[in-house]
Amino acid sequence: MNTLTSLFTILIFPAGLTLVLVGMLYEWIDRKLVARFQNRVGPRWFQPFADALKLFAKEQITPEIVNPYLFFGLPIAALAGALTAALYVPLLGLNPASNFPGDLIVTIYLLSLPTMCVGLAGWNTSGRFSLIGATRALTQLFAYEAPFLLAMLGPALVAGSWQINTINSYTQNHWVIFTQPIGFIVALIGLMGKLELPPFDAPEAETEIVAGALTEYSGRGLALFKIGKSVELIVGLSLISSFYLGGLNGIPSFLLKSLTLLLIMSMFQVLLTRLRIDQTVGLWWRFGAILVLAQLVVTILWKGFSL
Amino acid sequence: MKFGTMLKDVVESFFKKNVTQLYPIEQTPTPERFRGNLQYNPAACTGCCLCVKDCPSKAIELVTLDRAAKRFVLKYHMDRCIYCGQCAINCRFKCMGMSNLDWEHASLNKKEFTVYYGKDEDIEQLMANIAKPAVDSTDK
Amino acid sequence: MNIEQVLAQAEQLLAAWNKETIHPESNRLDVVIVADDLRAAVIALHDAHWGYLSAITGLDLGTASAQLEALYHFCNGPAVASLRVRLPRDQAILPSIADIIPPASFFERELQEMLGFTFSGLNISARLFLSDDWPENVYPLRADFTLDQAAPVAVRQPDKLPEQGFVGGNTFVIPIGPQHPALKEPGHFEFTVDGEIVTAARMRLGYAHRGIEKAAESRNWIQNLYLFERICGICSHTHAMAYSIGVEKLAQVEIPARAQAIRELVAGLERIHSHLLWLGVTAHEAGFDTLFMYSWRDRETVMNLLEQITGNRVNYSANLLGGVKCDIGLEQAKAIKEGITYLETRIRHYLEVVTTDTMFLNRTRNIGTITFAEAENFGLLGPTARASGITRDVRIEAPYGAYTRFPVSVVTETKGDLEARCVVRLKELLVTCLAIRTIVDNLPEGPLTARMPRKIPAGETISRIEAPRGELLYFIKSNGGETPARVHIRTPSLCNWVSVLEKAVGRQLADVPMLIAGMDPCFSCNDRVVTVRHTGSNENWSWKQLREYGIEYYKR
Repeated sequence: MNTLTSLFTILIFPAGLTLVLVGMLYEWIDRKLVARFQNRVGPRWFQPFADALKLFAKEQITPEIVNPYLFFGLPIAALAGALTAALYVPLLGLNPASNFPGDLIVTIYLLSLPTMCVGLAGWNTSGRFSLIGATRALTQLFAYEAPFLLAMLGPALVAGSWQINTINSYTQNHWVIFTQPIGFIVALIGLMGKLELPPFDAPEAETEIVAGALTEYSGRGLALFKIGKSVELIVGLSLISSFYLGGLNGIPSFLLKSLTLLLIMSMFQVLLTRLRIDQTVGLWWRFGAILVLAQLVVTILWKGFSL
Repeated sequence: MKFGTMLKDVVESFFKKNVTQLYPIEQTPTPERFRGNLQYNPAACTGCCLCVKDCPSKAIELVTLDRAAKRFVLKYHMDRCIYCGQCAINCRFKCMGMSNLDWEHASLNKKEFTVYYGKDEDIEQLMANIAKPAVDSTDK
Repeated sequence: MNIEQVLAQAEQLLAAWNKETIHPESNRLDVVIVADDLRAAVIALHDAHWGYLSAITGLDLGTASAQLEALYHFCNGPAVASLRVRLPRDQAILPSIADIIPPASFFERELQEMLGFTFSGLNISARLFLSDDWPENVYPLRADFTLDQAAPVAVRQPDKLPEQGFVGGNTFVIPIGPQHPALKEPGHFEFTVDGEIVTAARMRLGYAHRGIEKAAESRNWIQNLYLFERICGICSHTHAMAYSIGVEKLAQVEIPARAQAIRELVAGLERIHSHLLWLGVTAHEAGFDTLFMYSWRDRETVMNLLEQITGNRVNYSANLLGGVKCDIGLEQAKAIKEGITYLETRIRHYLEVVTTDTMFLNRTRNIGTITFAEAENFGLLGPTARASGITRDVRIEAPYGAYTRFPVSVVTETKGDLEARCVVRLKELLVTCLAIRTIVDNLPEGPLTARMPRKIPAGETISRIEAPRGELLYFIKSNGGETPARVHIRTPSLCNWVSVLEKAVGRQLADVPMLIAGMDPCFSCNDRVVTVRHTGSNENWSWKQLREYGIEYYKR
């Protein structure tokens, strides 16, 4: 019975299929919000689902010079990474499917797997645009990964544990956003960098390099990468709202908190111009990392004094 | 250092109606001077063919059935017309105009794009003339 | 100095090589020289800073005379001095002046391809406008050209793709175009990139060829009005205006003041339309989609106004030979004023956004800086030049039509970077709004058209108009018939390409779309000069074949 329940949790609810569907729903909400801010109508509710279905139905054209195993396998690996990361996070406000001490590190590592797959995919197809896109994606990965991890570490420090479950129950009573505001901002912007949302969409800058690393992908592979991205969005939002916005203990609180974060992210998308890749890296290594390090130092000192 | 200079626009738009017009459910009426489909009044036409001469895309053909009795049929190629209005300007007897109501011309069939204008009996005669050679050949 | 004195100065400078002097119009001087003296004459004018090279026109003087003629037009304020060189058809060799005046290389390549001139010293044989499989030694603009000569070479060679992928080390060649999200119209650029830094730039035009200059020779004067209007969607009125003004000059017809004022009014509205479109496109290239959406939303206001006045949103057809078609009544005047008030508020807001938004400035400030000296050397035109401090605006130097009565003030900036170009264009719009308001309040009374003959008297004329992108030059030659003998159009975008190619080197790849957008390219205006090949080809590709071709193409 246990196996069956586990399988159900992993594949259907709340991870797996439900996660994919909720991911696409959130993608729609994001697009609708951005459209409303720009005084437009925006897509109807079924647009992301229609896009995914259409892509699955289309033929996948494989360039001649790629390694076919990598070409087929990388989208699957990307989606798998994102879905696996979801198992340790309080998804939809419910208890994580699995937990063990140190699963925070594992989750963050798994979340960076999609980006690395994109970079590898770009190198694999070795078209001109893909190579530049892959280089930019990996550069951006190096840039924001460290500040993001440090920003996640802040709440972990005050909660005194590396286990997401424990941190979640700790933050139910302590709203870390008030004690670590800088960490919150860095985490939120870091999530935007991870997901390559504007203004950090240099790796897939449409007007410069067509579609970046994913230029040569079509059909199934492209659909899997895109779904992986929406899953990453949910996982990231769950993490940040669980750590900073007072923990998640049920579907209503998940909806409320993650939608608030999505609203803020949409506003950032709309108000800011795309940064060049050198400006992104400069921004992160100068402001992001230093600020969050300062935050951490303050937190450590404070915790040290209050012990 | 100013970020988000368009904040006011963006926040206002969130609460205002969007500007997208959901055509064809919503339609704004076209202004009076809009240059849509050609309109021809056969009563005033004298067959001077100035409209035919100056059409940039050869969209008008004037078929003369009887010059003395002023019976003309205007063959208008809607797909060639560029809606410039030069024919309407050229006509000294004001028999040409551009409608502002008739402009939605999408069609699945090219046949709809050749339009015959004129008095009904004239058009009928023209159609009969066009059909005649076929009748003749089967007679043999 | 008035026009006579300016022209006398030019005549004096060219005295040594002058074989014959002609004054075809009150503001023009034609000096006939021989090919060997060309370089010396050009250097004389260039060193004395007498004007700038505006265009090089090629003429075929007919198979009977077996001669070709090249005219080099130098413009100094309202005065135009042209150097005329006559050459035999099969030996049309001229020395190239591209080393003295860089933009001349584009003009010379056009003449090389279209009329078969040879420019010694110009070592560029790559095609600029004609496609790569156009047969050799077939020159479309020659009088003896027939369509069957234009059959493509037997086996169609694939388009010359740059070296794929790596070219050694970290460098590779990035193509932008012909189909690319950065470009609104097709054009081909090749940037050799080392990491993210551009090390070399090349370009290829001619993807929107329609054969307009040749087509004009077989249509009558009125039909050509509509043909030229459709060269471009956003400068369409200025093309029609330039042509009308030229033909009216040839026919020596004075059009009524009311018509001139209405022409200026519609031109002003078109300028607003064009610059708002440009603002949106630049914002989109930068990744600032919000500004893109809002500026295009406001563009709808001006398009609705134009629809109300002229009857169409694009290709207004407001001009007639001899005047205008549409009148401004009370209703239209009221609508114009309301629209302009709204637009002024929005334009002021965009000016503020463009100059203060830190993130947008990160992409535009100090990028693509062209100094005053460089701009003069490149021969830039329009807002791109005015952003570097060059006061070059035909509406002010050589006012035409109603601009003497309703003048506009020139807007310049000194920095010459992308931000300066944004600011110049937006400030120009504010000046235009003011002018439009003045015209609507003070519209002169009178008829709308003047009577024009159907056969335009023989002669040659040059009309220069300030299009939204810069100076537009029309050279119209009539042989007294119902169709023109030759119409040569030199659009401003052709002169401004040099700035992109020179300035891209050394910058990051991400800046390249911004640089291209910064000079406001109008590819449709550029590509006019090839005969359209009739598709009487024997190949009829089925859908299946097309699909397979596409898939195979993309696998490589």
